Amino acid sequence: MSAPLVAMTAITKEYRGVPAVKNVDFTVMPAEIHALLGENGAGKSTLTKIIAGVTAASSGSLKIDGQERAFRTPSEALANGVAMVFQETSLVPSMTVAQNLYLGNEKYFNRLRGLTIAAQQFLQSLNFNVDPLATVANLGAAQKQMVEIARAVLQKARLIIFDEPTATLTPEEKRYFFALVQRLKRDGVAIVFISHAIEEALMIADRITILRDGELVVTDQASAFDRDTIIQAMVGRTLSGALYQRHAGKVRTAGAKVLSVQNLSMGAMVRNTSFTVYGGQVTGVFGLIGSGRTETAKIVAGVLKRNFFNGGEVRLMDRAVTYRLPRHAVLDGVVYVTEDRKLEGFFEQMSIAQNLHLGRLAAGGPPIVSYGEMAALAEAWRGKLNIRTINADARVIELSGGNQQKVVIAKSLVQKPRLVIFDEPTRGVDVGAIAEIHQLIQSLADDGLAVMVISSYLPEILNLSDRILVARQGRIVEEFTPSEATEQKIMYAAVH
Amino acid sequence: MIGWARGRIDAFRGRGAHAATVPPMDGALRPNTLLEESAVLLRVAAPDNLVLYRGKVLFSSGAVIMALDLAGGVASEWRRCAAEVTALAVAGDTLAIGLADGTLMLSDGIDRVVTGLGPCITSLAEDGAGRLIACIGSASNPASDWKRDLLLAGASGSVWAVSLGDGAVQKLAGGLSWPAGAAMAGERVVVVEAWKHRLVALGAAPLVSDLPGYPSRLSAAPGGWWLSVFAPRNQLIELVLRETEYRERMMREVEPDHWIAPTLSPAADFNEPMQGGAIRTHGIVKPWAPTRSYGLLVRLDGNFQPVASYHSRADGRFHGVTSALQMGDRVLVSSRGGHAILALTEVQP
Repeated sequence: MSAPLVAMTAITKEYRGVPAVKNVDFTVMPAEIHALLGENGAGKSTLTKIIAGVTAASSGSLKIDGQERAFRTPSEALANGVAMVFQETSLVPSMTVAQNLYLGNEKYFNRLRGLTIAAQQFLQSLNFNVDPLATVANLGAAQKQMVEIARAVLQKARLIIFDEPTATLTPEEKRYFFALVQRLKRDGVAIVFISHAIEEALMIADRITILRDGELVVTDQASAFDRDTIIQAMVGRTLSGALYQRHAGKVRTAGAKVLSVQNLSMGAMVRNTSFTVYGGQVTGVFGLIGSGRTETAKIVAGVLKRNFFNGGEVRLMDRAVTYRLPRHAVLDGVVYVTEDRKLEGFFEQMSIAQNLHLGRLAAGGPPIVSYGEMAALAEAWRGKLNIRTINADARVIELSGGNQQKVVIAKSLVQKPRLVIFDEPTRGVDVGAIAEIHQLIQSLADDGLAVMVISSYLPEILNLSDRILVARQGRIVEEFTPSEATEQKIMYAAVH
Repeated sequence: MIGWARGRIDAFRGRGAHAATVPPMDGALRPNTLLEESAVLLRVAAPDNLVLYRGKVLFSSGAVIMALDLAGGVASEWRRCAAEVTALAVAGDTLAIGLADGTLMLSDGIDRVVTGLGPCITSLAEDGAGRLIACIGSASNPASDWKRDLLLAGASGSVWAVSLGDGAVQKLAGGLSWPAGAAMAGERVVVVEAWKHRLVALGAAPLVSDLPGYPSRLSAAPGGWWLSVFAPRNQLIELVLRETEYRERMMREVEPDHWIAPTLSPAADFNEPMQGGAIRTHGIVKPWAPTRSYGLLVRLDGNFQPVASYHSRADGRFHGVTSALQMGDRVLVSSRGGHAILALTEVQP
């Protein structure tokens, strides 16, 4: 057996005396795909950030190729063959894809055309359908992730750490990504793969390490695990009921028509799309990236504008509405829970209480409230949604992904909506929080609210929805009832 | 002034009242082929107004009222009228017959004629208290000229109560956009306003609005109602309905059969390239096409909310559904455009 590429021994990392990682041993072998699993807040990102030089360990040792290392910066780690692809992209939005790919590796004199051609060839070799001339700010989340991955591969790292690389990718793009990972492995590159998608880890990993509350639970060959043992190890409990059990039998009957979208159009992204959302039901919308789901939802919520001429109609409770600002939609009871919580969901430097207060303010709440009132509101929602934090004064940036998502949801629900649009509600959220968020979505529909859930994850759509709509090329093309829907049928409608 | 300016801007941008949009057929109205695949009970020209009278299933076909033999699937002439029959209803032992010349006949062995209702009796219904509810589609256009009324944005329809005892009439509501069906739900008179695509309880807020087609008659079903929808809405027609000058010229210069307007049966004329072009690809009619005719029967619950629907799609045969009659576990449906009476077995939603 060869020597490990990375060997971490008794690694501990503390933030203000609170340990994020406690006494963890972790090894990565050369040309190995190693999946690192755990709930949000389990310490996965912290552990890998120590390897990649983003943060320093409080104690313990890190050896790369048998040599003791303590990288102070990511560039130092990169010089030593360690690259990390972050969940939040670190691309420069105002630059093109090609410029981003070669950022930091430019020659003294650069020929832009040569850079673009090289980037084009490289992206094609990875099967990534991204225009090298496109400005990064104009790319979707999935395409940004692709550029991040391409950049890591381009830098010829010996160890690449992927933090939730597939969260934003479509099934087709995931296939390409897994093929790429296998190719990197064949070339001798070691991969650390952080994911919440257990099936993906089981499918591609050679070994799996599971962390819980900052401690190592188990490391073993992937073949030694199955889905249940992983969940058990991750959460330390069995989840009541299967997480992605098919919507069994009980389908809610439709209430009143709450939202009717009629012939809505916005450029090439939304093309004459029509659908209805009813009260007391969860309407699931599935579609691949680029199918116009998010854009449609954002037009409804007043974030984006429909076409100036013949842009179609949005009718809320049988009344045609046009929102120039999201706030106007909020005042009408329409809330949109964004897919990009970090950018659009909250103010990360503010506390939970301040975020919730701002949410209520947007819905016409009192502008001036006492600190006690604000805190009481936040505490109430913290309890309702089981947001795990010391208190409501905690800054949102300090929370794990699942808890951040709960804050975004709470911020929307304080606005007392009648239509809630969830866009990828469990993206980058751990299994425990997924179950809680699913339960919350169901309870909202049980309470009579109209709920629309946009998701790229088929089991989630099948589990949650009372009706399933499929979007393709900017319009809704198919509708299924839960009893007739299968993953194959939905995917067929989404692709063909 | 502001309203006028806004109207001009809306017309320029195609929004607000000028948005040529159509609500989707989804949810309970999701397209299927249940109506298309239902059993054909009888082939007959333009059947309409299915009713059950003294144990007999009656329906109209032009000026003739026919009796349908359910077992044999044949029909015989039961009565011939002086003009086309536009509405039928049963109230106890009385058969009410609305004729295209504006006559309302009450027949219980002896015929009595009620006048004063206007030329366009579109629907009749019993109110359970010795009266008939009569829908008058338009004050100026006869029932057969319904397309003209639609294209002229007609809103001169009215609803009347007719005493079965002495034939006295009383106007219940006016200014309606082609009332085409009515029913009594408890104390409420529920009226179908076809051109506004909605069901309203007189004196109250609409019960259902923004339907994706032109609704017509209501008939009772266990725990709810059947709503016949005789034609679909589509964006081309919605656009034409907003273009006054175009519409007027079209009505002036083009044969009514070729107007861009809803129809009861599929267009099959080379003079209608625009209407036909939208529904064919390489000569094949697309089932999902924005057609001018369609077959749709909607099951409503007790609160008049759609819970299920039965369709004959763009490529189907049984379009122009105008009436339905529940007979035990079977529902008889008249497809006026498909020239057939169908028997469908209700599928529980």
